[in-house]
Amino acid sequence: MLAGLILALFAGSLVSLQNIFNNRVNERTGSWSTTTLVLGMGFIASFGMSLAVEGKGTFAFHNMQPWYWISGLIGVGVVICLVQATKLLGATFAISIVMTSQLGFALLFDSMGWIGLEKVPFTLNQLIGVFVIVGGILVFKLGGKQEQQETASH
Amino acid sequence: MKGILFAFVAGACITLQGVANARISQDMGTWQAAAVTQLTGFIIALIILLFVRDGSRQGFRKVNPLYLIGGALGAPIIFSEVTAIQNIGVTLTISALLIAQLFLTFLIDSNGWFGVLKKRMSLPQFIGIGMMIAGVVIMKL
Repeated sequence: MLAGLILALFAGSLVSLQNIFNNRVNERTGSWSTTTLVLGMGFIASFGMSLAVEGKGTFAFHNMQPWYWISGLIGVGVVICLVQATKLLGATFAISIVMTSQLGFALLFDSMGWIGLEKVPFTLNQLIGVFVIVGGILVFKLGGKQEQQETASH
Repeated sequence: MKGILFAFVAGACITLQGVANARISQDMGTWQAAAVTQLTGFIIALIILLFVRDGSRQGFRKVNPLYLIGGALGAPIIFSEVTAIQNIGVTLTISALLIAQLFLTFLIDSNGWFGVLKKRMSLPQFIGIGMMIAGVVIMKL
């Protein structure tokens, strides 16, 4: 339980860092140049780790189902939708909806056990928890001013 | 309206990605699964890039190399997320992940780290994070 929470917190911190780094690349290039680079780097790092941990097992594909190969499409869909949403709504509003949707679908996937993951029984507490978190996201993102103190010093 | 729909689908796809990676990791090593999904993503993005050709290649030279290799973080992100999903389920994983993500962004923004525009955080941001943590506690009550 605790290990799972810590790993999720770790992942979230890295996502935050990665978003900032990707934005820096995006400013100088474009969203597809950035996406290609980011996924390429991610592949190299994962492949390297797989070689280190699994050795030759890295090349064992006998358990592989064909749809695994196209799962990477989902990530490309994410980029297309994020870029469009940010363009149309602005980052703050877009991200608020993205995060709300992420949580809503998380609860849905847990309760339905879709795609063959272990089903986590739906409880009222979970639903209330999700609503409170979404409230927190909205207060964080939309509440009050996050004033810019000074112009960037880079 | 169209923007809201795009944002909604983006969120759905981000969660779906974590779930799909967790499912694939049942059949092979998690690092291997991360490599496979990112390789196909890379190939598709590269094909799109060849058509749209956005941005100049010279642009990359003007970026701090640290930021260029940021994509490598995808490996530990997928590994941790998948392991967390297998341990505590999708809802708790995404909840904790979002809390850490917003909290670190908040720290970076308020300190102006990595050359981001410094923002002053006020009460709503603290209340927001507090509510998110309360939400996780409620889930586990």
